[in-house]
Amino acid sequence: MMNEESLPELDLRLTQENLEDLYEYAPCGYCSCLPDGTLVKLNQTLLDWLGYSREELVAHRCLQQLFTMGGRLHYETHCAPLLLLRDQVRELSYSLRRKNGDTLPVLLSARLVRDTDGQPLVVRCTLFDITERRKYEQELLRAKVQAEEQGAQLARANEQLQAKNEQLTRINADLDSFVYTASHDLKQPINNMAGLFAELKHGASFPDPEAPAMVGMFEEALGQILDTIAGLTEVVQLQRKLEQVPLEVVELQPFTEEIIRSLQQRLGEYDAAFSLDFTEVPTLCIARPGLHSLLYNLLSNAIKYAMPGRSPRVHVRTSRVAGEVLLSVQDNGRGIDLERHGGELFQLFRRFHPDVVGSGMGLYLVNRLVHQAGGRVEVDSEVGQGTTFRIYLAG
Amino acid sequence: MSSPACLSVLKRNNVTVSGAGRQAMVFVHGFGCDQRMWRLVAPAFEARYRVVLLDLVGAGGSELAAYDPERYSSLSAHADDLLEVLHALALHDVVLVGHSVSAMIGVLAAIREPARFARLVLVGPSPRYINDRDYVGGFERADIDELLEALDSNYLGWSGHITPVIMGHRERPELAAELNDSFCRTDPAIARHFARVTFLSDNRADLPGVPTPTLILQCSHDVIAPVTVGQYMHRHLPHSELVILDTSGHCPHLSAPQATIAAIDHFLRVPAPVPVL
Repeated sequence: MMNEESLPELDLRLTQENLEDLYEYAPCGYCSCLPDGTLVKLNQTLLDWLGYSREELVAHRCLQQLFTMGGRLHYETHCAPLLLLRDQVRELSYSLRRKNGDTLPVLLSARLVRDTDGQPLVVRCTLFDITERRKYEQELLRAKVQAEEQGAQLARANEQLQAKNEQLTRINADLDSFVYTASHDLKQPINNMAGLFAELKHGASFPDPEAPAMVGMFEEALGQILDTIAGLTEVVQLQRKLEQVPLEVVELQPFTEEIIRSLQQRLGEYDAAFSLDFTEVPTLCIARPGLHSLLYNLLSNAIKYAMPGRSPRVHVRTSRVAGEVLLSVQDNGRGIDLERHGGELFQLFRRFHPDVVGSGMGLYLVNRLVHQAGGRVEVDSEVGQGTTFRIYLAG
Repeated sequence: MSSPACLSVLKRNNVTVSGAGRQAMVFVHGFGCDQRMWRLVAPAFEARYRVVLLDLVGAGGSELAAYDPERYSSLSAHADDLLEVLHALALHDVVLVGHSVSAMIGVLAAIREPARFARLVLVGPSPRYINDRDYVGGFERADIDELLEALDSNYLGWSGHITPVIMGHRERPELAAELNDSFCRTDPAIARHFARVTFLSDNRADLPGVPTPTLILQCSHDVIAPVTVGQYMHRHLPHSELVILDTSGHCPHLSAPQATIAAIDHFLRVPAPVPVL
């Protein structure tokens, strides 16, 4: 509650504010016009802005004639009809044309007063100087136009990218198809060669003492070609399979145990110790054949590239890192010189340990599978110490 | 008449029909407003005519999403729309009252399908706004650019939250509602585009081809369509009469509704002259 004692003491001179003075020198322009816009009264503030004398304007000029031509067009087509239909307009933005030709940006609000018969009598207008605001608005407009242009450019770039993408997808499919056809078409003659060679070896005798060694080399080369063709076929077949199978929830523990069992059958006896830890993320939603190929390749690598004289220890675990699932496979094997080979680690047919049998397909497949699943692969390795593959998948 | 196609045309142009009578009177608004600007004039004809009001696509309660800038890059698309409305309502021999730019839209429609129109009433028409050698339209090209600027600064408050019209307002229906509620305002991008189409149009060559008896209503003090432009129209429209109303501004149907009604009424009561073949 306010009591009288707390009211500030008023300067009595202010309570008798001169209305005439207030009208003339108000901090805004005032004018009154006939319904057709003919000016009948203007305050001194507005006259000062315009640079005209009262006599030059009253009864001689219309409000709309004070605007720039563009503003006048807007006034006649929008403001004037609106005033007559609604009896008021608010916050219309115009520019006054001063006597010296300069312009002054203003905001117009106006009210139509009607006589007792409801006929339009007079229009009362207030005009506010918005010089600074207009500059700011024009900045905004410019920024908006710029943003729209950039948006359009982005859309165009996006379209181009999309077209490129489609083209690449087509080329990729063509390549797959080519690889499949090539491996398929090569397989038959190579198999024939292998058969013929076996027959030849069986029946023929070579007088050259170096022949047996050459026969051995020939067989080895033949075997490599067959391996390569088998690898190519596998890549393409896995790809086709992945396109057909749905994503499913895979229980990692039994799934990985099964792979380890099949590895034991295939690679024979080895003295490896696996430790599995899927407690943090026990399942993955993924295409089963893809995950199988991925884990199979990583685990078999971990055994194949064991450090001579050291029993392989492989640690497989999952965890959650910043919204992603991390699947890591860590071994204590020979390691890879990443500084030398890091760039070509995932390339097809690239091999880094020629003394170990392999096709150069494994890591290529792993990387490709992870990318297809929307993930990425990171590798840490130290020569002689071991390697860790970290596979990040969308959680 | 109530086939889905017809209904969609009527919805597109926000067509409203009232009044009694065999003959139809179709009112088309000009640039800057919508069908509500006929409020002081149209009711006077409801006793004798079937009164049809519509909004040009892009204005008032029309379907803003239908405003394809490419299609509406000339007035003839609006003339097509007008004819589609007449078809949808199965109207012939109508009295067309067109204000400002819609006077020219009416002219184009009457040339295309003369049988649909018995009379034309052109309120404040101009076949070309920009001066051209001997022809005085009243404006220079720079004036029109200034108008576009004025439109930009007047729609500034909206520009931030309005989605491009071209995309339509389907995702944000509240915007369309907001536009509807705001009197004589429309989407800024449409207003700008329509202003350009309107004020840069040139229909002088079409005038001699109008076969319809025509009344030209011009205001005595109109900066947008000066009396000289009205006289030009009168000289080039074969079956026209010119009436100058003693009022100022560009909207006699608002500033002098009674005089406007009287002039139209007089024109309609006098039988049309038999065309000389």
